[in-house]
Amino acid sequence: MSQSLKRLGLLPRNICVAILVAYRAVISPLYGDVCRYYPSCSAYTLQAIQQHGVVRGIWLGARRILRCHPWAAGGVDDIPEPRERLATNRAGFVLARKEQ
Amino acid sequence: MDIFALLMWPIKWVIEAILVGFHWIVTALGGDPGSGLTWVLSIVGLVLVIRSAMIPLTVRQIVSSRKSLEIQPEIQRIQKKYRGKKDQFSREAMQRETMEAYRKAGTNPFASCLPLLIQMPIFLGLVQVLTDANNQKAGVGLLTQELAVLFSESTLFGVVPLHMTMAAGFEQGSVPVIVTAIALTLIMCATQFYTQLQIMTKNQTPAMKESPMYKQQRILLYIIPVFLLISAWLFPLGTMFYWLVSNVYTLVQQLIIISKLPTPGSEAALAREARMARKRQRMGLPPVDAEEAETAAEIELRTQRQQPRSKKPKSKREGS
Repeated sequence: MSQSLKRLGLLPRNICVAILVAYRAVISPLYGDVCRYYPSCSAYTLQAIQQHGVVRGIWLGARRILRCHPWAAGGVDDIPEPRERLATNRAGFVLARKEQ
Repeated sequence: MDIFALLMWPIKWVIEAILVGFHWIVTALGGDPGSGLTWVLSIVGLVLVIRSAMIPLTVRQIVSSRKSLEIQPEIQRIQKKYRGKKDQFSREAMQRETMEAYRKAGTNPFASCLPLLIQMPIFLGLVQVLTDANNQKAGVGLLTQELAVLFSESTLFGVVPLHMTMAAGFEQGSVPVIVTAIALTLIMCATQFYTQLQIMTKNQTPAMKESPMYKQQRILLYIIPVFLLISAWLFPLGTMFYWLVSNVYTLVQQLIIISKLPTPGSEAALAREARMARKRQRMGLPPVDAEEAETAAEIELRTQRQQPRSKKPKSKREGS
């Protein structure tokens, strides 16, 4: 019961994950390699939403995109480490358990 | 109103100001203020202003990507370290090291994401401005009710209303609208396809062509026309003109970049070097940049030699 409740709680972020995964598969390749950071802006936002939820994830992603301008030095820029990482499946959807 | 409208407000204001400004200029030059051609020219002006404002960004990116050639030996060292390791974790570690090397060197060959995303709200703003004008509603700024009425009643060549979509054209059985929409879509597909093809075949290094991204790009080349057809169905002809002119602008810009500032190590760069050498020969000058050409050739050679795998044991490969 609590497991399915948890899954329900993860539904918003998994919807966002689905949109981002589709974007990364279909639209993103149109531009080629563009991002000055690793992980790329969309990968960063995807991870941020997976680990920090929709609101904080979108906030982090938006700030990252603002950082990704032509005068930025780039480099490695990971998401802030969450208190505990949630496990994700191969497609990118967040599962209702902690990462091993 | 809502936060979204608040965010769009300044964008719409600027778009309206530019549109109205060009409308005024074209009218002053003798254009009919109510004709579709005047409005199309205003939209062309809008594209020119917006895209020209972005030229410094493009130039900056090209210069920086040329500068990143200087740390090519470092990048090659990293590539060599991970040669033949195709698993996800090695790929990731390699990308991390590469990006860190670029950051340390203070150069970065990538364009950055923000300029790409900025164009989306601009297009959205234009759609909103044109939709409002079409409903004879005054805009947020300089686009008055009077001008909105003028726009909504304007037609191209007297038969094609600019505010109609392809869907509306089919609904009302208006053949000129359908023909114009289809013609615009075809030209758009052609320009988009050609631009993408130019970038992919001429302005990418052999190393770039080996990445999985390249294959995806190739597939998408054939999906783009479908996208464009859907958007032509949904968006008014006025916005399609914006898109079309923008595409043509990109195409011309790309052709200039390919001939003047090609990606080092790409086919276009080699073609340019050959052109320059021929020119020098014709002028009777000695090939001065022999040294530069040599380093370029060396880099070219190394990227191509990524393929064969060493038969030496891994420990020896790592050590060398």
